[in-house]
Amino acid sequence: MVRFAALLRRQGLPVTLIHVTDAVRALDHLDIGDREEVYLGLRAVFVGRPEDVPAFDRTFDAFWRTATEADAIGEALAPSLPDEAPATERESSARESLALDAWGEMDGDDGDEPLGVPAASEREAMATQDFATFSADQLDAVYRLTVQIARRLARRISRRRRPSARRGRLDLRRTLRANLTRGDLIDLRFRRRKRRKVRLVLLCDVSGSMDLYSRFLLQFLFALQAVFSRVETFTFSVRLTRVTEYLRGRSYREVLRRLTAVRDWSGGTRIGESLAEFNRQWPGLVDRRTIVIILSDGWDTGDPDVLAAELLRIKRRAGRVIWLNPLLGNPSYEPLTRGMAAALPLLDHFAAAHNLAALRALAGTLHL
Amino acid sequence: MRDEIRKIQELMEAAEYVTDAPVATSVHLAMRLRKPLLIEGHAGVGKTEIAKVMARMLGTNLIRLQCYEGLDAGTALYEWNYQKQLLHIKLHESSGHSAKEEEREIFSEDLLLRRPLLQAITQEQSPVLLVDEVDRGDEEFEAFMLEVFSDWQVTIPEIGTIKATHPPYVILTSNRTRELSDALRRRCLYLWIDYPTYDKEIRIVERKVPGINHRLAGELARFMESLRQMRLNKVPGVAETLDWALALAGLHADHLDETVVSETIGCVLKDADDIKRFRAEVQKSGLAPFVQVPG
Repeated sequence: MVRFAALLRRQGLPVTLIHVTDAVRALDHLDIGDREEVYLGLRAVFVGRPEDVPAFDRTFDAFWRTATEADAIGEALAPSLPDEAPATERESSARESLALDAWGEMDGDDGDEPLGVPAASEREAMATQDFATFSADQLDAVYRLTVQIARRLARRISRRRRPSARRGRLDLRRTLRANLTRGDLIDLRFRRRKRRKVRLVLLCDVSGSMDLYSRFLLQFLFALQAVFSRVETFTFSVRLTRVTEYLRGRSYREVLRRLTAVRDWSGGTRIGESLAEFNRQWPGLVDRRTIVIILSDGWDTGDPDVLAAELLRIKRRAGRVIWLNPLLGNPSYEPLTRGMAAALPLLDHFAAAHNLAALRALAGTLHL
Repeated sequence: MRDEIRKIQELMEAAEYVTDAPVATSVHLAMRLRKPLLIEGHAGVGKTEIAKVMARMLGTNLIRLQCYEGLDAGTALYEWNYQKQLLHIKLHESSGHSAKEEEREIFSEDLLLRRPLLQAITQEQSPVLLVDEVDRGDEEFEAFMLEVFSDWQVTIPEIGTIKATHPPYVILTSNRTRELSDALRRRCLYLWIDYPTYDKEIRIVERKVPGINHRLAGELARFMESLRQMRLNKVPGVAETLDWALALAGLHADHLDETVVSETIGCVLKDADDIKRFRAEVQKSGLAPFVQVPG
């Protein structure tokens, strides 16, 4: 069972010791001779979300088919391991991995190195420099600034939530406690309806036209997700992928490694279809207390009508819809692409996202 | 298959719940390993029903905790009956009780309002605790709940610690509107319920709508199967199928034709855009693609 668990872990399932002991206990209550039953039982123990079922199935099949020839297991599983993509997939993923390799280099030894924050003037210069023109050795500094900005944004939002002391409904529990020995209610305690937290839904364009920017913006998303408690993050190009889980790592490098599993990097864009997919798959994520942020340059090869219709669906439910467009930093840019033109009237806020100053300016718009 | 699992399947069927091996195996393990069972799936596939059937099967109480945003420990665990406490203070104002006595009286178990979680740990027989739609509650509540689940004891400062003598069987359901924490997933067994297969849906319809003819049930199941493959905003679940079957039975329809479908489609499709899209589809190629076996 420990070996089986190790294999599952190699397939990316979050398997812990609790799972292993549970699995062993579960076998006591299952008919070991019945393959189907053992399969269902172990699946209930090991799999925590539907996306993990295929990986579990593969591992289970391989493990039990070759249970007697231990060496063959590794072979049977090898094709599905991320570092050895099968030849057919290799070609299509070549571009993607190229894009990602470049990212890996810029990551540096995060965490271990001393936090040498660049001098103020240097920092200011960086803040207004276009992301597209950064050189590789500046990237670490940019990352740190990104984190700072994200933290500041988080503080701004949370400050709005502090309850006032003398308003709201009477808090009977605390009032009674405080006045027990007085015989009457003198010192009144109040409680205010706790404001529901704001949720961020981030939709980031990672298509080819965004390539220069998306690596920075994704870093920003990672930083945002680390400081906000309620963030859902998706990437899209021709297809929508939920990356909330992938961004939940401790270091950005680890996160990048996990993002390798996400396909569609640097492909074309179909924004409308991606939003439609979002609306279909995740309707519950957006409500009045949700800020939806779309990061895209608006270059869309899909139908602008679909884009407008789907964006409208989001707008109807969301508290705020913000579109960040890196191209907006260019003074000569006008949002004339068909997709952008269709989307523009539906947005609450349309802003640039081409440099750190622009990201910092976001603070003023991140509220409901 | 283990007799116990088959037994569970039979009992569930007897309790009017059409089931299959994955469901029965998960329920069996949840009861044996005494672990909470987390059930996820689309709306209307019968997640909540499992808890109800389990309670009926075990002949025990079902205690339901409906989650919503802002649900806190007070509403889920216990609250004091403040009105009574105030009354009590007023009545005994002149009785000369000492503050200590007074305190003991107003914080006695009589004035304690037991909310679902407290109810669940103070039963004579292990109940089934259904925590419905956990994804609607917030993360803080999730963490609080995990704490209760870990040792099944609750401390009320004024009374002391209450420990469950018969810990409940726990079923949690989620519609995946929010990703649940890994900590929660780790502590639970997991079951994903998909839309039913064609055969299972026929069985469900026939079980729940007695007297419906087999042909209509088959047509309905086929119809739902095709509907769910359309790109709909609100994909209909089993609950919708049953509503529709009941409506059709009420109309004494014995097969699906365009008039009947057009009059009753509101039972299954509940989104204006979906209905529009469906009608356009029917106008284009008729009802046939929905009721015929594909291929």
